[in-house]
Amino acid sequence: MTTRFPATHAALLGVVLAISGFILWSAVSASTSLNNLVVVAPVAAVLGVLLPVILASALRKPAREDVGSGAWGDLLLLAGFSAFCLALTHVGFDVATFVFVWAGVVMSGGRGLWQPPLYAAVFTVVLVKGFGSLFPYPMLTLVF
Amino acid sequence: MIDHFALSQAFGLLFASFEPWLWVVPGLLIGLIFGSIPGLQISMAMAVFLPVTFGMDFLQAMLFLTSIFTGGAYGGGVTAILMNIPGSSSSIATAFDGYPMARQGKHNEALGLGLAASVVGAFVGYVLLLLLINPLAALVLKVGPMEMVVVVLWGLTLIATLNDSSLSKGLLAGFFGLMLSQIGMSTTGVMRTSVGNPHLLDGISVVPAMIGIFAASELLRLRGSAYLVQDEAQRDIAFSRILRGVGETFRYPGVLVRGSLIGAVIGAIPGVGSSVANLVSYGEARRTSRTPEIFGKGAPEGVIAAESANSSSEGGSMTALLALGIPGGAATAVLLAAFSFHNIVGGPSFIRNQTEVVYSIILGNLGQVLLLAVIGLLMLRVLGMVVRVPLAYLVPSVLAMCAWGGYGITGTVAGPLTVAAFAALGWLMRRNDYPVAATVIGLLLGRMMEGELVRTLQISNGQPFNYLFERPMALALFVFMLMVLVGAPLLKALRRRKLQQAGR
Repeated sequence: MTTRFPATHAALLGVVLAISGFILWSAVSASTSLNNLVVVAPVAAVLGVLLPVILASALRKPAREDVGSGAWGDLLLLAGFSAFCLALTHVGFDVATFVFVWAGVVMSGGRGLWQPPLYAAVFTVVLVKGFGSLFPYPMLTLVF
Repeated sequence: MIDHFALSQAFGLLFASFEPWLWVVPGLLIGLIFGSIPGLQISMAMAVFLPVTFGMDFLQAMLFLTSIFTGGAYGGGVTAILMNIPGSSSSIATAFDGYPMARQGKHNEALGLGLAASVVGAFVGYVLLLLLINPLAALVLKVGPMEMVVVVLWGLTLIATLNDSSLSKGLLAGFFGLMLSQIGMSTTGVMRTSVGNPHLLDGISVVPAMIGIFAASELLRLRGSAYLVQDEAQRDIAFSRILRGVGETFRYPGVLVRGSLIGAVIGAIPGVGSSVANLVSYGEARRTSRTPEIFGKGAPEGVIAAESANSSSEGGSMTALLALGIPGGAATAVLLAAFSFHNIVGGPSFIRNQTEVVYSIILGNLGQVLLLAVIGLLMLRVLGMVVRVPLAYLVPSVLAMCAWGGYGITGTVAGPLTVAAFAALGWLMRRNDYPVAATVIGLLLGRMMEGELVRTLQISNGQPFNYLFERPMALALFVFMLMVLVGAPLLKALRRRKLQQAGR
């Protein structure tokens, strides 16, 4: 499907607008002193000019491919990665890493029935015993 | 400039026995390993191994800890080149051209370029420190917030040159980074926003954000490919090609020397240091290059400029530590802790009363730099193997390490979540041709900029422009920056027009 303004571009500009607007509103609500707004206010003004300029130039450009099938795969892996990040301190670093690496290898095209889980298990042990032992913080684990 | 008697004593201290050198090679290896694993930082390695130095004498301890520092600085560049993961904020600019080179199958050459530039940069940095420690210390004392504002502004100008497709997109990416840097408590203690999340009180943690936006977002895009380097013939780790990269470094002597000088001078400024030095050096290399259009697409000059500056800034950062007893960053703070371990107080009295020890530390570091060249060459064969790992296995493994790295830096779930959030932002930006590096630069320098601006406003009583004229160093820096940014391109355009007219 072709579109003049790809959904991912609209999403990005929406994110920039929403986050910048929120930071500006929050900063102005907290204090209107020069010291507090010395960076926020000029940056918001420049972003306020740039956003419509980019929007107008994107709308003037010829139509291009919208989110392709590859993008859905990326988004699926990204969702899995976000869930993994959240799970680290909830289900344990070892179990979360094992499941994520196994699923990630399969999603990225790793073949075979036993190779992905075996690799994930070995990788997890190396990470927990190697990387984890160097952490200066306590690390929640379920098995090791 | 040099106390020759103290220098000869320093040689005696260093070479009378092998003991001071005993821990240098292990230190370099520890630094290389910590530097090349995302999330493990040099300062962390130095802190972990600090208790080991309790049983050592002062010089041995210093050489051990500084060898971790030296090895780690280069290790961060290795992951920036091979996986687009800058080990620290001082390796950001290395990834700009190092990673595109690796993807083109020139990973051997890129690693060689990085190693040679690092060795030369660090060497120049320490030679300058040896020659200029006293005048440099005096200079550092004169640096105030106004001067810092000018230096940070210089770093920020790189945003305008980083654009994958259009200037407006590059600027939007950079200014959005600046806006994100304003989350959390302001430098004057005003609570702006933390989105109700206590982890954001101090703002967004830059290193996890950098790991997410650079590495994780790129890994998501790599998912469909088979290997990091598509061409099978290019996937080998060839010692001869690494050496070719080493040799190629010296084809750009101007970039190498300029990068080393920029690194040494900016590195000496406490708090700014190598994070800004590598960006300023990269920006200058791009501005003065005959082929600026290949920057960001695998230009060897880009790797040389970034690596030489971040390595020479190590010598610069030692200036404030040795001469003033002020740590310029986390790594030098650990060195200062080692000073107190051994009942030594850094500063003018240390230089005056124990000049031979100061010289022996500097000379020892010069020796370490030469050893890094050998150890680095041997280790690169192992580290470069990453291009032979199928991406189906590499992508989830490195993604997992990115999340672990985020946790290693913050110690809370906020680290991995920052990595994930910035991975999503980076994915959106890359998909629509926005330069992710500009956002990182904005995020990194925004808070620094705010702090220095507020201090300048307070000192100048709200009259920063009048104050600028009272600060000769800031004024000189400002005029020099304007000359470089505006004058040089104008001169170039004028010369081009004259040449065209002559051609007609």
